[in-house]
Amino acid sequence: MARLGRSNNRLDSTVLIACAALSLLALVLPTQVREPIASVLRRGILAPMLRLQQRSEESRRALISHDAVVAERDSVAWRAMGIESLQTENVRLRDILGLGARLKWGFIPAEALHGRGVRDEFGVTLSAGSLGGVQKLSPVIAPEGLVGVVDNVDPSISHAMLWTHPDFRVSAMSEDASAFGIVQAHLSAGPGRYLMEMRGVPFRTSIKLGTMIVSSGLGGVYPRGIPIGRVLSETKTPETWARTYLIRPAVFPANVYALMILRPDRASSGVDNVWAVGTIADSSVRRIVVAGDSLARSAALAEASARQAAQDSVTRDSLRKAGVPEQLILPADTTTHPRRPVVPATVRRDSTRPDTVRRDTVRRIPTRRDSAVIPHTP
Amino acid sequence: MTLAGITRAVITFAVLVLLHFTLRPLLGWRAPIDFLLLAVLTAAVRVRPAGAVGIGFLVGLVSDSLAPDTFGAGALAMLFVAYLASWLKAVFFADSLPLNAMFFFAGKWLFDVIYFIAEHRLSGIDLVQQLVLWSPLSAAATAVAGVLVLLLMRPFLEPTQA
Repeated sequence: MARLGRSNNRLDSTVLIACAALSLLALVLPTQVREPIASVLRRGILAPMLRLQQRSEESRRALISHDAVVAERDSVAWRAMGIESLQTENVRLRDILGLGARLKWGFIPAEALHGRGVRDEFGVTLSAGSLGGVQKLSPVIAPEGLVGVVDNVDPSISHAMLWTHPDFRVSAMSEDASAFGIVQAHLSAGPGRYLMEMRGVPFRTSIKLGTMIVSSGLGGVYPRGIPIGRVLSETKTPETWARTYLIRPAVFPANVYALMILRPDRASSGVDNVWAVGTIADSSVRRIVVAGDSLARSAALAEASARQAAQDSVTRDSLRKAGVPEQLILPADTTTHPRRPVVPATVRRDSTRPDTVRRDTVRRIPTRRDSAVIPHTP
Repeated sequence: MTLAGITRAVITFAVLVLLHFTLRPLLGWRAPIDFLLLAVLTAAVRVRPAGAVGIGFLVGLVSDSLAPDTFGAGALAMLFVAYLASWLKAVFFADSLPLNAMFFFAGKWLFDVIYFIAEHRLSGIDLVQQLVLWSPLSAAATAVAGVLVLLLMRPFLEPTQA
């Protein structure tokens, strides 16, 4: 037993010495020999372990960078939200600049100072007052259309009655001036609260859904042509002698921050072409379509007259062959000539349309007068 | 040692080696837990000193393959620690957690001393700082981890009679 113990101790010492010698040998091995051995161990037994280690280190990096990534994502989202509001504001400011460019003169730009209170849904404070030229009963407009009317003026600020006010009224008409009525807020509960209604439309007159309703200019406060809204539907009222239409307003006052106050002299001179861009474009398209139609019609008429001429010539030849005297046969141009004036007549009818353009050019006279007035606008 | 005991020891060894390559990089501590050393120590106390030397030498050599410049230093340190662990266990080791913690602590510190002296990479104040500051910290972390492993795997590991 003691011999076995001694033998075991000798074996342990031998293995220890041998392994220590091998380790020391590995330490002093040249790199050319050491590297291949290490490489074999790395590619063999250590390869799966190294893959595990790589994944663990990736997980650690992900954990470490998680907070930074979340913070970065939050800041990007915050910036994106800011960009959206900036873009919206940019569009609104561009619209208001466009409206100013179209108005050219006689307006006072102002900011709407929303109070967001219960009573503020009927009125709004404006950042311009009598010192800026604001007067009572001046129309308040936005690029989209009518907002309200100034009902109170202080030196530096003023107050406007919005169209949502129960006392607000504006004389209105359909865009083609075929129907007239009075537009006011639709004073109902529920989702229809922020709509308008056009009352007093004669029963014999019907307005199509989607028709743009604009101010009619009657009454002397609002100039003709300011968009009010579009017809949503007809609504039933006790007034059986007149129709009432629900109007989707062009402007939702809560969304308006920059607006224009029309001075009375500007309101009296009219704003016909300020919101007429779409109408002008529509009429241009119609003119192009009509011109295309008249060209096609003239081509068809020319073809028909050529066919008729050929047929007439065949008829004349057969009459001559039949021995009919030459004086009884109608000359060639008497058969075709009467049809000729038809084509120019059509073309001339189309050419009457530029009259509308000419009418616009007449409006430039106030523009020239405005150039002297522009310095008065803040 | 029975076959079941050998199987349990092998599984424990494999788990600790896996932890070395998964949990240690995940923690990324400056004073890391040396699960390889824990694996060698838990195996060494269950085998004869010659076997412990063999295990230490192989494990050290494999870990050295990741740092070919110091190839052999880890093997030298590991085989000495494994031999001492096996010899000490055979002489007086008790089945007590504080003693096991001291055993792991001393084993890791001794390993670092042999390793850093043998590899000749650090010298002067850096070597002193490593051996007096970082190595004890790493040894402490390793000891705590070793105790936790023993606590968790005590039902699995039967008491050894080396």
